[in-house]
Amino acid sequence: MSIVPKETIEVIAQSIGIANLSTDVALALAPDVEYRLREIMQEAIKCMRHSKRTVLTADDVDSALSLRNVEPLYGFASGDPLRFKRAVGHKDLFYIDDKDVDLKDVINAPLPKAPLDSGVVAHWLAIEGVQPAIPENAPVEAIVAPSENKRSEHGKEDGLPVDIKLPVKHVLSRELQLYFDKITELIVSRSDSILFKEALESLATDSGLHPLVPYFSYFIADEVTRSLNDLPLLFALMRVVRSLLRNPHIHIEPYLHQLMPSMITCIVAKRLGHRIADNHWELRDFAANLVASVCRRFGHVYHNLQYRLTRTLLNAFLDPSKAMTQHYGAIQGLAALGPSVVRVLILPQLETYMQLLEPEMQLEKQKNEMKRKEAWHVYGALLCAAGKCLYERVKLFPSLLHPPTRQFWRSNGRVATKMPNKRKASSSHLLQQPALKKLASDGTAGSIPPISMTTSMQAAADGFPTPSESGIRPSSSTGQLSNESISGGSRKEKSGGKAPTPSTVLAQAWKEDLDAGHLMASLFELFGEGIFSFIQPVEMSFFL
Amino acid sequence: MEEEELQKAVYAYLRKKGFRQTELALQEEQNRLSSSAQSDLAVSRLDNDPARYHDAYSKLRSWAYSSLDLYKHELLRVLYPVYIHCFMDLVAEGHMQEARTFFHTFREDHELTHLRDLQKLEGILSPSHLEEMELARSLRQNKVKIKLCEYSYDLLLQYLQKTQSFTMLGIINEHINFEVSAGQPSSISDDADVVALVGSSQDIAKHINQKEVRWGLLEDSVEERLERALSDSEKAEGENKEVDPEDSKKRSVEGAKQGVSVKKLKKDKLVGATGKNIRSETSTVSMAPRVKPELTLPVMTTEVEQSILEDLRNRVQLSSLALPSISFYTFINTHNSLNCSSISHDGSLVAGGFSDSSLKVWDMAKIGRPTKTSNLQGESESVQNEHLLGPEERKRSYTLFQGHAGPVYSATFSPFGDFLLSSSSDSTIRLWSTKLNSNLVCYKGHNYPVWDVQFSPVGHYFASCSHDRTARIWSMDRIQPLRIMAGHLSDVDCVQWHANCNYIATGSSDKTVRLWDVQSGECVRVFIGHRSMVLSLAMSLDGRYMASGDEDGTIMMWDLSSGRCVSPLMGHSSCIWTLAFSCEGTLLASGSADCTVKLWDVTASMKVPRMEENKASSTNRLRLLKALPTKSTPVYTLRFSRRNLLFAAGALSKQV
Repeated sequence: MSIVPKETIEVIAQSIGIANLSTDVALALAPDVEYRLREIMQEAIKCMRHSKRTVLTADDVDSALSLRNVEPLYGFASGDPLRFKRAVGHKDLFYIDDKDVDLKDVINAPLPKAPLDSGVVAHWLAIEGVQPAIPENAPVEAIVAPSENKRSEHGKEDGLPVDIKLPVKHVLSRELQLYFDKITELIVSRSDSILFKEALESLATDSGLHPLVPYFSYFIADEVTRSLNDLPLLFALMRVVRSLLRNPHIHIEPYLHQLMPSMITCIVAKRLGHRIADNHWELRDFAANLVASVCRRFGHVYHNLQYRLTRTLLNAFLDPSKAMTQHYGAIQGLAALGPSVVRVLILPQLETYMQLLEPEMQLEKQKNEMKRKEAWHVYGALLCAAGKCLYERVKLFPSLLHPPTRQFWRSNGRVATKMPNKRKASSSHLLQQPALKKLASDGTAGSIPPISMTTSMQAAADGFPTPSESGIRPSSSTGQLSNESISGGSRKEKSGGKAPTPSTVLAQAWKEDLDAGHLMASLFELFGEGIFSFIQPVEMSFFL
Repeated sequence: MEEEELQKAVYAYLRKKGFRQTELALQEEQNRLSSSAQSDLAVSRLDNDPARYHDAYSKLRSWAYSSLDLYKHELLRVLYPVYIHCFMDLVAEGHMQEARTFFHTFREDHELTHLRDLQKLEGILSPSHLEEMELARSLRQNKVKIKLCEYSYDLLLQYLQKTQSFTMLGIINEHINFEVSAGQPSSISDDADVVALVGSSQDIAKHINQKEVRWGLLEDSVEERLERALSDSEKAEGENKEVDPEDSKKRSVEGAKQGVSVKKLKKDKLVGATGKNIRSETSTVSMAPRVKPELTLPVMTTEVEQSILEDLRNRVQLSSLALPSISFYTFINTHNSLNCSSISHDGSLVAGGFSDSSLKVWDMAKIGRPTKTSNLQGESESVQNEHLLGPEERKRSYTLFQGHAGPVYSATFSPFGDFLLSSSSDSTIRLWSTKLNSNLVCYKGHNYPVWDVQFSPVGHYFASCSHDRTARIWSMDRIQPLRIMAGHLSDVDCVQWHANCNYIATGSSDKTVRLWDVQSGECVRVFIGHRSMVLSLAMSLDGRYMASGDEDGTIMMWDLSSGRCVSPLMGHSSCIWTLAFSCEGTLLASGSADCTVKLWDVTASMKVPRMEENKASSTNRLRLLKALPTKSTPVYTLRFSRRNLLFAAGALSKQV
């Protein structure tokens, strides 16, 4: 009946020496005990209110007891709230964990510090009704939500709805903090170690890292702006970004706005690294690919992401006052976004741009070797971007000619599968027989990837660092050659497959092809004799 | 036997109220029933069964809830008294188990409005407790008054007859007084009137509230003298121009006198507005009726008067458009032991009462940025600025007053800052001199902890209130109280003086606020409406309005002359520790345990009820002008200086 069970009364009776308390008495006492308890609590709450507190303390109960002329309970006074522990096996039985204290320890312990004496400090809570933004005042957005749940009710009645944003309390576990410290230390100081590689792996796969993402993104943004001339660090940071982007457990979207500027900086910054020998080209390429991957992943969520990115890059590309390095970055960035972007944004500007670029590349006109080299890099990037675009155009045709090719294929299916070269299917049907034969004869078949754009581009870019001019051309042309030869191959095949195709498809194909033809022609014009050598077979194949 | 009596009672009741039709219907039905005597028997057998309360109440409840929407809220009001009386009847009959289950089954319905009462009643576990507990006893002895419209009343009676729930009828007859009014049911918002189920009969309260309260200002007050001085100065314009050159940097809105002097320039609009402000302000002051003081008031020295006049001249006019500046004093390192604080009128002294029975006074002119208060306030205390802090003073920035033997629950500065009063749980009040830094008098009289003590606006007299359910009036020169105000049904938690010193108001744990005549010691007003313990009171300076704040965070504004609530207002989510009216009564500031200071527009809420008296009361609310959050510092004290600078104090508390 009462919340105090009669057993309790019996136990208490035993503890004060009444061994045989009859059940009736216990039953009669129990409700009274509850009543007294409630009475004391009521008084204690009054005392609490008059002490201007909202949390009941042991002192309040003592005051209430003394109000009732009852001896206070000694030994419970404490400033802290009491720590109750749940008794094992009981749902609502609690006890205070009272530890045994060794007297020796207490005696030997140094004296605790004296508590600070109370004081009063003054500040302006408001000046003519306006709260000044000083540290003594609560920040406006961080209004502490009162714990009482009555708030919502009052809010409704208030008639003046106040929109209060609750502060987000971010709790980081000790482990995560350690992890963060360790990773940042690795990034800053030992980005070439094996450990760092493992760290990157961990960043890309571990599932519990989400709480750290804001810290990482802040760290990256901060470090990039601070250490633009520390190339290894920048590279390390970009790798971290890549790992974070890769991690399937991280919801990185909300932090993109913080990461994107850093990445774009790594693409189009004027100077990256402090030494001439620093291979900042590689970093630019890396970052460009990173940005492109972000665009692919989040482009549908943030529809203006790619737009803003291309605008930034295009501005860098079209501004003649910008350094060559910046142009290079912009071109690589745009190229990474895909051939269609190149076609729409770069190709129309190509002619004018080449006019600007040409004098920079020529030995007689640009005496500064450094500058010249940069110009050649840009040239290479442009070539690569244009070439890829061209390739993509050409790649479209087989799809038009698909049915006939299939048929065509059926007949030679055996042969195709028996080809020793284990290519992926993605290398597409069009490449098969004739192209392969041709390439195999060239001896470069192995180096032709099944058109992973980036690698071919990388190859092109890799070819450049060799200082001699003569070195550049062949290497770049080999890279390009592969592309072109592939397209050439496709063309050949197409011409082979022309016969069975219906005339309508042909007409369409011709139209597209003509476009491509124009494109190629103009490209040929622009890139001049430098690429004439590898355009030649294409042309030839086209006209075959 | 019992039933017959009951029937008689019903008939008598119906006859008294003039419900002839109902009576006839009842008779008819009764006749029909008597023909089948068996059912009667069944009823009487049922009567002794404790379950009948449960059944009957649940039936009544479901009926009330499914009644017509228009009358529903009126009928629902009946449920609560029936509910608690059913419970108490069950207890009285000794059916403890049934009482418990009954209580818990229907508890939820009433928790929203009557939580605190329910918590108390929950503790009743034996018939003896009913006798012992104040609340229960007063509930048993007194009748609750419920307003019903005619039709709801009919509905209720019809229902009770049809279902023959004599248990319910008995309870309703015994404990409820219906106030039947013709016409439409009252609006839901009037519920507030019904909420407080106070022990004291509401009739008495009504009777008390008929008495006259002369809420006007004192004759010949300083303000009046200032006004006179002003009109004089307007006559003799020429001389006044050089009066306050040091004020020229202050805003033109600031001072009355300055406003006048600038008004002469008659140049820009702002000044014109100020002039109007002043005129309207002075007119409101003069509008308030004058009353003669009932106490012999202490004589003011001319220096003090001068300083007050000076302050009045420099007073900033506050309104909903011109909010006050707030200087906040934060107590640090209090280790949760600060119980109360007080700020002197000019903000230069801050006192804190601690639970370790000490009282500490900080002179804000000396510590911290010494220029701050004195520059802005520019009041007479500035002399102390000169001597710098010595090393020994640095050690302890405050003056320690020791003498109490228990937690200090309240402290108050005399109007001119010379004296400090403190009240403690050792049931004494002590008077301290801030000039001599020592204890002067110990006033013994209360028998239990003294919760609050307040100096009168003119000094010399002070009022205290205690756990012993009394409030007392003292004068500084006597060690016995001059008056004892008894009447509250529970602890008297806070006390406040009326501006004209003829009345004090007390707020109590019995959820009422009372107004007492100081001269006669009589209760002249009972204000019913709070739903929990009243924690803070404030009186407007024109003496017409009073604000009270409670444990739940509700503030109520009362019109003293009518005894009615002008507007209840919600906004705080926790205990309201302090309230303060600005000097011209346009703003109300409230400080709460939810760590905010809120400013309310008083004028907006006053005008509405004046214009349309009928709708009045709860429909309009005080407008919240501004909520200023502190940094996890509950606000303990608020005080407007005479120049309308708002001082606030609170102890920085660690958030768990």
